[in-house]
Amino acid sequence: MTSAGARDPDEIDDLARRAQAGDAYALEVLLGAVRPRALSACRSVLPHLPDAEDACQEALLNVSRKIGSWHGRGRFTTWLHAVCVNSARSTYRRLKNQAVPADPTELTATGPLERPDPRTTSVIAGTRLDLLEAMEVIERDHPQLVQPLLLRDVHGLAYDEIAQLLELPLGTVKAQIHHGRKLTRPLLAADA
Amino acid sequence: MRRVRRSRRPLAGARCSTTILAVSLGLSACTAGGPDTEVEVLAQPGEVGLTPVALGELPALDDPALDASVSRPRRDPVYPGVGHPVVDALHYDLDLAWDPEERLLTGRETLLLRVARDSERLVLDLSPALEVTGVRLDGEQRPFDRRGQDLRVDAEVSTDDRHVLEIDYAGSPEPVAAPTTRGDFSTNGWTVTDDGDTWTMQEPTGAYSWYAVDDQPADKATYDITISVPSPRVGVANGQMISRTESDGVTTTRWSMEQPASSYLVTIATGEYALSEAVSSSGVPLSYWVPVGEEDRVDADAGLAEADRGLTWLEEKLGPYPFDALGFLFVDSESGMETQTMITLGMTEYTTSTPVLVHEIAHHWWGDLIGPTTWRDLWMNEGMVMYLQGAWMASEEPYTLQQLMDYWAQDEPQMRAEAGPAADYDPATFGEGNAYYSGALMWHEIRGLLGDREFWRLVREWPQSMPYGSSDYDGIVGWWSRESGRDLAPVFDAWLLGETSPPR
Repeated sequence: MTSAGARDPDEIDDLARRAQAGDAYALEVLLGAVRPRALSACRSVLPHLPDAEDACQEALLNVSRKIGSWHGRGRFTTWLHAVCVNSARSTYRRLKNQAVPADPTELTATGPLERPDPRTTSVIAGTRLDLLEAMEVIERDHPQLVQPLLLRDVHGLAYDEIAQLLELPLGTVKAQIHHGRKLTRPLLAADA
Repeated sequence: MRRVRRSRRPLAGARCSTTILAVSLGLSACTAGGPDTEVEVLAQPGEVGLTPVALGELPALDDPALDASVSRPRRDPVYPGVGHPVVDALHYDLDLAWDPEERLLTGRETLLLRVARDSERLVLDLSPALEVTGVRLDGEQRPFDRRGQDLRVDAEVSTDDRHVLEIDYAGSPEPVAAPTTRGDFSTNGWTVTDDGDTWTMQEPTGAYSWYAVDDQPADKATYDITISVPSPRVGVANGQMISRTESDGVTTTRWSMEQPASSYLVTIATGEYALSEAVSSSGVPLSYWVPVGEEDRVDADAGLAEADRGLTWLEEKLGPYPFDALGFLFVDSESGMETQTMITLGMTEYTTSTPVLVHEIAHHWWGDLIGPTTWRDLWMNEGMVMYLQGAWMASEEPYTLQQLMDYWAQDEPQMRAEAGPAADYDPATFGEGNAYYSGALMWHEIRGLLGDREFWRLVREWPQSMPYGSSDYDGIVGWWSRESGRDLAPVFDAWLLGETSPPR
């Protein structure tokens, strides 16, 4: 049998261009083809699979709604990563708001909780959650730093890809990431 | 293959069984809530629908040509609903009539079989949607019963005896659920379009939706298929078209596949088709069967030229094409199947593309000539063929094979996480990315270990090591280790059984 989504990056870009032009079938094929990658991207932020699947679903929905905002200069998959970062973060926020406080007596090492801890809900403690939490903090004063930092340090995109994606000069992106890392470091859990 | 004239005695009343059956089926469909009112029209007594036509001759039971079909049948460990250890099918002769108005399939099946172990009954897979009206063993009527998708025929049989089993059946076939979460198909087997045209894809199972079969890949058999449909429709199946006749507004085609095939590699479609033919650079007869009216989606001339280009490239890598014909049958699907000698393809941009043609042609060595003994080892087909497809793509596109492998490797861990290791996958995830990409990446690593010359030698020789046979996991791993003089088991195990992707 032929593979379900065997497509090279050029084919993905072609599909995305056709989807942008209003080809509903191309959009459908595109979403099917990029789903594994989108899920993988979300999972690198949200380690618990059901959470990642929620985020992935939201990301694909956003792709279908906002595909017009992909500029077609960089790879479609690069843009997809940015969409996934946003979806993973909004999923994280939603989960955090829904979280109920854990039984404080169970928390001996870290002491009683002052607010609902997402790590006690379906968001299982994972290496990236403290980073996501740090992004929430940084966003208040420096919203422009968050996306470049996540794209570089979580998704592993190259500086020039990020620059192209965010339509910023390369130097600006590098500076933002450098600044973002400096602010993030003290916010990360010591054991992460 | 040597032929003798068949000595089939029609069952009493068989000629009007079509009508009688349609009535009973129609009634049961109505009680089940199906809004099928057409069947009431059929309930006119004396009206006879399409009936199957018997053409050609059956092979003799002791024909040495049947020996290539001898195999050890078994229950499938991954899909235990199919496969039975008693019947070793040698040759299927299927005489079928399809009435597109009534959605009624009438079949007369003659199965030449070897008994693989002593038993008090013969068991085959057959969908409960089809009603069996008579069963004969070596010309004698036999009692039978149905249990789920098993057709069970009472018969004291002894190991290695050969018998002729005849089964008359009819009904409106229903597709069976496909055990997968893939987006391009969700059911298998006999599929009917809104226009009453039909097609089938049936991997891993689903042949039993339209004939009685040992529906397990280890049991290979040869096929002769005769299909009658109202003109201008025509029936298309595997192998070579032996005859095409028209009489009283019914077109009857007879197809013969002389090299044994697993049931999942059988195809059949009915509809109005245009045929285009060519001969490959290496002399293989090529055909393109395109539904009339779909010419804008499937360009037969361009497709035949691309098929020849792909075949030529594959023959350089794998040796001469190992079958006597290569056709392409286009149907209303979104997938593609390497059905033996008559590839079945959807009409999407993707499934008509050259990489997909190359993929399905490549399966004729890796998959059709030699294939997996059970569905545990689907990777055996798809891993190498995906690798060959990748090598083709890299030869055509502005990237290297290494770059493509790096690209595929980005997604492979996720596929493994979702569906399990390729040789130990979740049975609910048949044919998903792990079967394709884990294997492809593994072969790329093995190529690196063995060097190009040795690797391609073994890629070419493995399908010829057991033509028309099948292999299990230990069989292929052992062969590759012996032939290469290296213990490759750790490499296979890491890529195909590991919970996480090995380092590359």
